[in-house]
Amino acid sequence: MADIRSKLTEFYSLEQMSLKNTVIHKIHPFSKLISTIIYIMCVVSLDRYSFQSLSFYFFYPVITIALAEIPFKMIIKRVIIALPFCVFAGISNIIFDKTIIFSIGGFTLTGGVCSFITIMVKSFLCVASVLILIATTPFSKLTLQLKRMYIPDIIIMLIEMIYRYIGVLMMQADSMMTAYKLRSPYSKFPHIKDMGSFIGQLFIHSADRAERIYKAMKCRGYGTLHIKQIQKKRMILNDYIFMSVVCLSSLMFLITGGQLNV
Amino acid sequence: MFKIENLSVKYPDGTLAVDNFTMNISSGEHIALAGGNGAGKTTLILALAGIIESDGKVIVDNIELNKKNISEIRKKVGVVFQNPDDQLFMANIYEDIAFGPRNLGIDEETIRHRVDDRLKLLNIEHLKYKTALKLSGGEKRMAAIATVLAMKPSVMLLDEPTAFLDPKSRRNLINILKKLPHSMLIATHDLTFANEVCENTVILKYGKIFSQGKSSEILYDNDLMNRGNLEAIENDYNKTTKQ
Ligand SMILES: Nc1ncnc2c1ncn2[C@@H]1O[C@H](COP(=O)(O)OP(=O)(O)OP(=O)(O)O)[C@@H](O)[C@H]1O
Ligand SMILES: [Mg+2]
Repeated sequence: MADIRSKLTEFYSLEQMSLKNTVIHKIHPFSKLISTIIYIMCVVSLDRYSFQSLSFYFFYPVITIALAEIPFKMIIKRVIIALPFCVFAGISNIIFDKTIIFSIGGFTLTGGVCSFITIMVKSFLCVASVLILIATTPFSKLTLQLKRMYIPDIIIMLIEMIYRYIGVLMMQADSMMTAYKLRSPYSKFPHIKDMGSFIGQLFIHSADRAERIYKAMKCRGYGTLHIKQIQKKRMILNDYIFMSVVCLSSLMFLITGGQLNV
Repeated sequence: MFKIENLSVKYPDGTLAVDNFTMNISSGEHIALAGGNGAGKTTLILALAGIIESDGKVIVDNIELNKKNISEIRKKVGVVFQNPDDQLFMANIYEDIAFGPRNLGIDEETIRHRVDDRLKLLNIEHLKYKTALKLSGGEKRMAAIATVLAMKPSVMLLDEPTAFLDPKSRRNLINILKKLPHSMLIATHDLTFANEVCENTVILKYGKIFSQGKSSEILYDNDLMNRGNLEAIENDYNKTTKQ
């Protein structure tokens, strides 16, 4: 029971980071959003053997994490959760792609291994850059920014609701687990015969709860804001510099990286 | 000015939870809403904020509640829910209090001042950057009230505000509510609280107004309170608190 609760606080602790006041946090959300998108696009478009040029892309996470004073551990721990999924995507490369890229002595590096590594590194960089965005920009400002960019309301609402719902679901599971354990002191986890009703009730309760939270949100004016009413925060020189440095260098590594790798 | 005329609420399963309710709250007036469990207090509050559908008229500052101007009404009517967990859903208390004003399109600088101001008013400045998950029941309650105050509503509807509060926080809340200039309708089981904060009391029974009048008279009337499924405030207790 206590572990679900601590997972939950851990889950939201990244968002807590977003309230700091460092150089990176002060940069306009628009500038950070665009930079992240361009950065990810460049990383993804890199050639799959272009192993060396990929290493240049570490500049962005390393520098921003340091400047934003976010513990490296915090980002890395979360990225690692995503990596197993990428292993499945990359593993077939090792088996099928046997082209030899180079060999030193008895050691040969096949194209498959090389592209497997690039896939892993690419995933690492992409997930890290998104996490950095979340850790340096309050979630509400991010959704407000999306709204300003004329992303349809329904999509933004979906993002917000999923984000909140994770919390609701976990809190509900936490209190139900506590109630369960108190009345069945010998089992750590719901018995298989109780599992059906446990999970069923969990969804019903949390849907109910989500409904009440949505009501409370509406009471405080959620969904009544028009684009015209949103206060525009003007971009200043720093915001433009940040955006152009990140975007241009990402593009430059993409272009030169391809040539270096002939 | 808050006018309620012939308000009725019927739930889809046929329960008539509020039955022909009529009342006026003049500006700055505090009214207590008492009644046994299931009398319809929560339902009434939700209907007044336009959260559940109802028949009849609700008029706030000359605006009538209907589908078209529901967002106007929500700006004017603040609701403090029975369960504060439903009201705190952002990363921390600051973000939670800022949520409402942001939806009104207010700029960040003003929001920051407003949040600080509300935190100070309720004596909860130390909770500013805490997550709601880590607060005690009473702290959550105070934070939930702050989120509503930050909207600058003209009417406040509070559902059981003293639940979870220890005697000291309860005293603190009484002092704060007494000071606030808003019109208020407070659903509560805490009758001594009702007596201190509200001049007038309405007793609800089976969704209907059973009795209404001065709190200092109604709440001590043993016979009346018994018939309303409640218990009158004990006179001895009253003497000691009044001193
Ligand atoms: N969603 C619902 N569907 C059907 N009936 C409901 C629903 N919610 C409440 N009721 C019924 O409406 C009546 C009034 O309920 P309400 O929650 O308003 O009471 P209350 O006065 O707030 O009680 P309490 O003091 O226990 O909070 C009750 O009989 C209840 O069973
Ligand atoms: Mg109730």
